Amino acid sequence: MAVVEIPIGPQHPALHEPIMLRVRAEGEEVVEVAVNTGYNHRGIEKLMERNSWVRGMYLAGRVCGICNAVHTQVYVQGVEKLMGVEPPPRANYIRTIVMELERIHSHMLISAVMAEIVGFDTLFMLIMRDRERVMYLKELVTGNRVHADIHILGGVKRDIDEVRRDRILSELRVIEERLKYYRKVFEEDYTLLKRLAEVGRIRKSEALSHCLVGPTLRGSGVKSDVRFDDPYAAYSEIPFDVVVRDEGDSWARMVVRLEEALVSVGIVRYALEHLPQGPAVPKAFPRAAKVGEVVSRVEAPRGELIYHIVSTGGGNPYRVKIRTPSFLNIINTEFTYLGHRLADVPVIFSSYDPCISCTERVLVVDEKKGVRRYVSLRELARWGTT
Amino acid sequence: MAELSIGGYTFREVEPRRYVVSVDPGRLRELAELIVREESYLSTISAVDLPKENAIELNYVFWSTKHRVALIVKTRVSRERPVVPTIVDIVPGALGGELEAYDLLGIVFEGNTRLRRGFLVPEDLVSKGIYPLRKDAGV
Repeated sequence: MAVVEIPIGPQHPALHEPIMLRVRAEGEEVVEVAVNTGYNHRGIEKLMERNSWVRGMYLAGRVCGICNAVHTQVYVQGVEKLMGVEPPPRANYIRTIVMELERIHSHMLISAVMAEIVGFDTLFMLIMRDRERVMYLKELVTGNRVHADIHILGGVKRDIDEVRRDRILSELRVIEERLKYYRKVFEEDYTLLKRLAEVGRIRKSEALSHCLVGPTLRGSGVKSDVRFDDPYAAYSEIPFDVVVRDEGDSWARMVVRLEEALVSVGIVRYALEHLPQGPAVPKAFPRAAKVGEVVSRVEAPRGELIYHIVSTGGGNPYRVKIRTPSFLNIINTEFTYLGHRLADVPVIFSSYDPCISCTERVLVVDEKKGVRRYVSLRELARWGTT
Repeated sequence: MAELSIGGYTFREVEPRRYVVSVDPGRLRELAELIVREESYLSTISAVDLPKENAIELNYVFWSTKHRVALIVKTRVSRERPVVPTIVDIVPGALGGELEAYDLLGIVFEGNTRLRRGFLVPEDLVSKGIYPLRKDAGV
């Protein structure tokens, strides 16, 4: 049978990260996948070298729209170490609250996208509707619906007052109920189980050797969470569970996320109820850092996020190396598609929490003659009928 | 400061849960094999260009889920001949890191057959042979 090469990507109308999967299929079976990147390299690492420490903070927040607060956190906590600044406890709690709200809406987003991809559009709309409640809370705390930008070197920009605290607590009760319902849907719905269970299975040893992180790693039975192993912000003072599942398939990864969102609700609630007294907003912050380097890690919604910041003193970073969790989870999972059907590719890919699209062209490779030609999707559809 | 010994290599704690060792590039593969046995994954390969010292420093950051610490392996290569052995066959997850360091700083990972320009860097820079994260790249 002819091997058909299908480029999936690099454009997607709804989500971030333009990326392409070159999928080679023999009939319906996937025999090879190669990830193509580089469609949107913005050179943020280089930009940071040119800008001051404070400007770098805003750049870090713009690496990713969905998880902007964790990017700012990982940058700010690293720079604070280089500057010898310690944020006050109240600021650490507020940072934690914002990051956990972000985790809840990020996990809800990918659950909605997954529902859409398997053709369950009603669930997509319901989750997106309830996600808006979390976005509202984020706006209530930070002033912005998407970009938090609440961090500042040595603290946060805005404090949380009593009125806001009570509003968040009452809204969290609704969100928790909805999350419990969606977890039940993902655990019990026949369609979702059919599409997700046993699809894209990753064994524990494979997850480690292929350097996967976050819910993908924890969905394969490895208990590894930066919040727990390498605590930052206020996580060392807040009790919470690390969610782990052993199944290792797409279904396990989705359930880990929904469980984690529920854990996050608990963290936000605990942080609000135990918010330390004292200042949170610094009056001034330093502009220069000492000579040194720091490896800063946080647990982003998609997994371990790591910055390596090098300072030679002065007002600019010398080098900032950014490694986002999706970088590992997308590039190192080419092997998980093999042997599955073409229709499973979007499911497996989405279970790593990135985004893709389908272009309307197909490249047919004649293995014997080595000839390549493009075929439109319409033409391909007709082949099935003749 | 605490120390951690893995297969004869002594890692020194530089800050809480960050252990560092400096080795020659020739020792990388041996060390990677030892670290992988400690239930570790490779977080990132961070390359830093140091034109004043005519060197590029490579930082392999591993996270050991067994010890719950970051194991950081530092090595240096010259800027004229930035060649290190690949560890992709030992740690398959090193692929992205090696591709990135090659594309952005021109580090050649000997034995990695998938190295290519244009992995992240746009075509106009690739065609001029520019490695954008080198300090003298002029971009």
